[in-house]
Amino acid sequence: MQRPLISLSNIGKNYPSVATGGNRLRTIAALLFKRGEVPHFCALQGVNLKLKAGESLGLIGENGAGKSTLLKIIAGVVKPSTGQVVVNGRIGALLELGSGFHPEYSGLENIHLAAALMGMSNAEIDSKLDSIIEFADIGTHIAEPIKHYSSGMVVRLGFAVATAMQPDILITDEVLAVGDESFQKKCIRWIEGYLSQGGTLLLCSHSMFHIQTLCQKAVWIHDGQLHMYGDSFDVTREYLTYHEEKNSKAAHLEREVLPSGVYQIRKLWLENDSGNVTTLVDIGGVLRICGVAHSPDDRPPVILFGIVRADGAPIYGTHSNETAYLPNQIAPSQYGFCVRFSNLQLLPGKYTIRAHAMDPEGLRLFDTVSTSVRITGQTRDYGLCRLEHEWMAAREDFIAMEDN
Amino acid sequence: MPIRNLWPYRWLLLNFLSREIKSRYIGSVSGIFWALLHPLALLAVYAVVFTAIFKVKFPELEGHSFILFVAVALWPWLCFQEGAQRGALSVQNGGGLIKKVAFPHELLVYGAVLSTYAVHVSGFLLVLVVLALTGSDLHFSSLPLVLLLFSMQLLFTSGLALILAALQVLLKDVEHFLTPLFMVWFYATPILYPASLVPQQIQQIIALNPLSYFITRVRELLMTGNSQIGWQDLVMLLSCMLFFLIGRWFFNRLSPYFEDFI
Repeated sequence: MQRPLISLSNIGKNYPSVATGGNRLRTIAALLFKRGEVPHFCALQGVNLKLKAGESLGLIGENGAGKSTLLKIIAGVVKPSTGQVVVNGRIGALLELGSGFHPEYSGLENIHLAAALMGMSNAEIDSKLDSIIEFADIGTHIAEPIKHYSSGMVVRLGFAVATAMQPDILITDEVLAVGDESFQKKCIRWIEGYLSQGGTLLLCSHSMFHIQTLCQKAVWIHDGQLHMYGDSFDVTREYLTYHEEKNSKAAHLEREVLPSGVYQIRKLWLENDSGNVTTLVDIGGVLRICGVAHSPDDRPPVILFGIVRADGAPIYGTHSNETAYLPNQIAPSQYGFCVRFSNLQLLPGKYTIRAHAMDPEGLRLFDTVSTSVRITGQTRDYGLCRLEHEWMAAREDFIAMEDN
Repeated sequence: MPIRNLWPYRWLLLNFLSREIKSRYIGSVSGIFWALLHPLALLAVYAVVFTAIFKVKFPELEGHSFILFVAVALWPWLCFQEGAQRGALSVQNGGGLIKKVAFPHELLVYGAVLSTYAVHVSGFLLVLVVLALTGSDLHFSSLPLVLLLFSMQLLFTSGLALILAALQVLLKDVEHFLTPLFMVWFYATPILYPASLVPQQIQQIIALNPLSYFITRVRELLMTGNSQIGWQDLVMLLSCMLFFLIGRWFFNRLSPYFEDFI
């Protein structure tokens, strides 16, 4: 069994609340003599995590969830209040912009300072200086004080120093977001090369694209706790779904039509092709929407259904009148219906399926019942659903086309 | 952390040192000369006030000028005062680093204290040469002992700076206490007067001040050439080491929590 590079057990972090002078004095006494309770608030709690050599782990979560605190604990900047951190290897940490840069200093002097902070000797720095300057690629600005740099240039320099260090574990906190497109690509290329040579990565980002391209595994930190750990595709999808749901809750409350009307949906469920109830479908799989509607006058109602994404974006909807489908009577006043999707090409994620009962004339909407389905699978497609397409060879006359 | 574990960070300490020295005078035209100008101006003021106005005379001068008497004490004092003050604020000023990079925080304090000593000890040596050239009778043979004395004082200053720096991060009030504290301390140290002029009743209090030891000793070494080493010197050497270790213990006990407070 390989020894993990990073091993966290039951990590928690409390920040002291020191709003008043009395609290401050009490805190000092408690810290010095290691006893007594300190007034605090909790930023992180009970986190267990292992990172093996060669793994790449993404860290996601809302603002203030505790991601940066966790990275700082691993980097050794913050001491955890509870639990144990074991790190076996040289850590290169890029926490926030321009770690360890002095604004009055020129880029060149800051390279020396930052490299010294990472534990490099002067000789080591000098031998790598050229490659650092080349990677940063900020031209003659390297001789100017950092305070005149744009934030992107500072990040370029910081990343360049970190690359020169060749760490066993690279920790980056949302640094890619600041660089321009070409620098981001350069960084991603570098990280990919670093990973292919057996490097270990801990990446914190709000870009699910970066997490999915660079990380095998991902961790979702929520309210200071480890909410989900697993394959980066699964975790990012859950995370996005969470946000979509959160947004839709904020945008509008679910419209509930009270079943005051006579026509109504009594039951609604989803099943697979063998008739078993399910809420999980693979992309391209088979899904059946089934239900039972109630009709007061023994006339078959019109059934309307719609599929919306978790954030409320409508995808598709239709009603049974279109195809002259009539729900069949299965009991007095009870009409069953079933819609089958033979090839469901929704992209992975969570979707809401709504069904409504209408009067037989299809004029009035009586009620709404909803259920949800989760589409699983891995894809790098974008959008809501997959459209049928094929890639073809170019013809000779393409060249003759006018330029846009 | 044992002191030897700081060895891999020697480049960082060197970097902090040069950064401290440079940042102090960066952007000023006359640069490093300010380091010399400030004590020289102080010395000029004291010379005018005490020799031209008060016309002080006391037996300890033994034919030396009052300027020499004060100069020999002024630089060690400035080393101590500036070193302790800069050291006390160094951790707070290095907050940007502490929040983002893992490194031994005590290096910030050492950088501040050492750079002050480097600047003022060089200034001191320069002034001694100038004084000797202008006809003052100085005992340069005891210079190695003077430098040893400076190292002891450096240990004491670092110990104090470590304690003050840690308290400053957690309490913030420390910096407001520093100016009055050092003003009182300055007059409670025999810099402008010899220890023998102090009335009997408060002589005990003055003797408790470690700075009176350093300054009396520097004067003895340079002005009278008395380079005998007694048990008192050994006790002081051990006390300085002990005080430094206490300061380190205090600082490193609190340093893991600095990030929480900065």
